[in-house]
Amino acid sequence: MTELLFAAYFLVLIATLIIKTPIIKGPWLFLLRAFFPNWKFFHAVGYVPHLYARSAVQLSSSELQWSDWVLIYPRRVRRLHHLVHNPDTNLGLGQQNMVDHFWADLHDLPEGEDPRGLVSYQMMQRLSCQVLCARDVNFSHSQFELRMVLDGRTETLDTHVMMTSPVVAC
Amino acid sequence: MLSAALTQTLIEAGVQAPTLVAIRATELLFAWSLALQTLEYLRMGKYMADDAFWSWQLQRADIPNVTVRALLDVLFKPSMHQSHLVLRLCAAIALAVQGASLPLIGFLFAGNLLILIRWRGAFNGGSDFMTLVLLTGLLISQVVGAFGNIELGWQAGFWYIAIQAITSYFMSGAVKLLRPEWRNGSAMTIFLNGAIYGPLSATHLLRNKWLALLGSWGFIVWEILFPMSLLDPRLAAVFCAVAALFHFLVFWFFGLNRFFWAWLCAFPAIMWCSAQFSARFV
Repeated sequence: MTELLFAAYFLVLIATLIIKTPIIKGPWLFLLRAFFPNWKFFHAVGYVPHLYARSAVQLSSSELQWSDWVLIYPRRVRRLHHLVHNPDTNLGLGQQNMVDHFWADLHDLPEGEDPRGLVSYQMMQRLSCQVLCARDVNFSHSQFELRMVLDGRTETLDTHVMMTSPVVAC
Repeated sequence: MLSAALTQTLIEAGVQAPTLVAIRATELLFAWSLALQTLEYLRMGKYMADDAFWSWQLQRADIPNVTVRALLDVLFKPSMHQSHLVLRLCAAIALAVQGASLPLIGFLFAGNLLILIRWRGAFNGGSDFMTLVLLTGLLISQVVGAFGNIELGWQAGFWYIAIQAITSYFMSGAVKLLRPEWRNGSAMTIFLNGAIYGPLSATHLLRNKWLALLGSWGFIVWEILFPMSLLDPRLAAVFCAVAALFHFLVFWFFGLNRFFWAWLCAFPAIMWCSAQFSARFV
């Protein structure tokens, strides 16, 4: 009997992958999603959200002179001791997770609603400012952009802009 | 010589008192994993300050209930949060030294929920989920034990942990099998290029199409077959050994050190459940 229950359990798991069911959403479900793990890691290749930011200085003619767009994407140097202590890398991974959440929040935002009210938007704005400040503190305005990037095995296949923030004075 | 003697002692203990060995191994591994996580959190204080990226002043707007938000405002004050982490570290040490008890596991469970909320539901994804699975299993063991049947409590706890861990491998393999980019091996190269320690060097072996294909299929088949580990404890030992290597590679390429330790904590439960389950056929 126990063996049959096990077999039925794994059949149900397979069925959940094939049969599409409605997704239940809510703020508490999101915050406590660790209770409902789906165990799907690195499963689908597709467009990945990347955060870009740029800064500007105001010229005497009151025009803005913009820097190039900077990709905000965590890259770290591997060390074996990171196996037991790796806060910096984990913070980088957490930062990129937040970019993913921002994309998901934008995706779920009702048509016409202002994204600036989103917590994830405000976090992205703060992250952009901090990264730009770390590069050069002498700027007066900043802007960030969420781009969807489709990578292939050897090169980037496609990119499109999902959202560009308004220019803000810093 | 010493390690051979120690291994022999462990094997004998495992044969004579498998449940006690599984309990102690789970407690020690989990205490280690919790301690590592907590020490990392303790280093992140400045990234959680009011003017930092992970500021609670920004994140508190996610909390829908005013009363809960006010309570969390107090609990997530920097000094309070740091104190909580220090207590958590002490609790992890107590778990290693004294073993599990209801107050200790209850504190760790409640504290873990707070940490999850502080990091917007999860700091490190899967490792947070597996840590919660371990804590839930330990909580089940202690709650059932508190009602008088300690052995039944550990049985229930171990089965909960083992089923969740086996499910994690099975689901992870099954979703990959359904994706063409995993079946043709390209997904592995793409993910490794995007990893935090990436991109792969131009001459890296995993840029080779056939090696990537072989690696992808190797992991897919191994993950999907993981439920077979219940059929024999020796088979479970092999599956767990491959799993340890797999998690090490995930750490090596993706920097996910917490995954390595979180999943390792579930191995004693998998081995114990395999011994129990296979004994039915003997």
